Amino acid sequence: MNNHVRALREARGWSQGDLAERLDVSRQTVNAIETSKYDPSLPLAFRIAKLFRQTIEDIFEPGKH
Amino acid sequence: MARTTKRHYERRVMIAMAIYVVLLMLVWPQARSTPDIWLKIAYALTPIVPLLYVIWLMAQRIFNSDELEQRTHLIGLGAAAAVVSIVSLVCGFLAVAKVMTIDGASIALIWIFPILMITYGGVRSYAARRYGSSGCDDDDEGMPMYVRFSIVAVMFCAIAAFAYYREHDEQMASFAMGVSAGIACAAIFFGVRYWLRRHAAKP
Repeated sequence: MNNHVRALREARGWSQGDLAERLDVSRQTVNAIETSKYDPSLPLAFRIAKLFRQTIEDIFEPGKH
Repeated sequence: MARTTKRHYERRVMIAMAIYVVLLMLVWPQARSTPDIWLKIAYALTPIVPLLYVIWLMAQRIFNSDELEQRTHLIGLGAAAAVVSIVSLVCGFLAVAKVMTIDGASIALIWIFPILMITYGGVRSYAARRYGSSGCDDDDEGMPMYVRFSIVAVMFCAIAAFAYYREHDEQMASFAMGVSAGIACAAIFFGVRYWLRRHAAKP
């Protein structure tokens, strides 16, 4: 699954650590989501969407795998 | 609930393991010479106490982990359970067929926990690396790998010295010294890698 988390984070001037703290996850998890190595669960996806004031569909989109 | 920081977790584990080694060297040998059965049981099981604390710390850490960390813990624990089960089964079948002799109490049972922990740590590190983490956590807030390995090497060195000078057990001393040397080599490897990475990261 592809996502725009990195772009949204950088647009706000946050580091991966800042975003991790806001989502209550580890920095490694934020990095894994941004690089599409890990697809977040639905509750975490909702938290990300709520934080960026967007819908899940706007942030995440189906990828090749 | 607040997420347990890696630094706090590692510090507590290291203190507990240091206490474990001290108890193993000073208290546990008393079990052999004590005639009273209840005192014997107490001496024999005293080293378990710090290990129980370590298991409780691990459980707390997993409970407070996020979903990706819990997934890597699950992969590590699953692989460790599989490895220990298969090794136990293979050794058990070979022992029943009298192909090999296993001293169940002193050899087989004591090695189950270390094999479980080593496999769990290794596989979890591999799984974390697959998800983009360093795997060795050298870039995180945790204790660098070379420090961890150095501490464990010193612990085994202390066990070797104790076995040689206090217990006059040359076989145990040689074994512990060999393990210590192997772990020290790993510490040197991780130390050099850590230094090279830090050196390369400098502008």
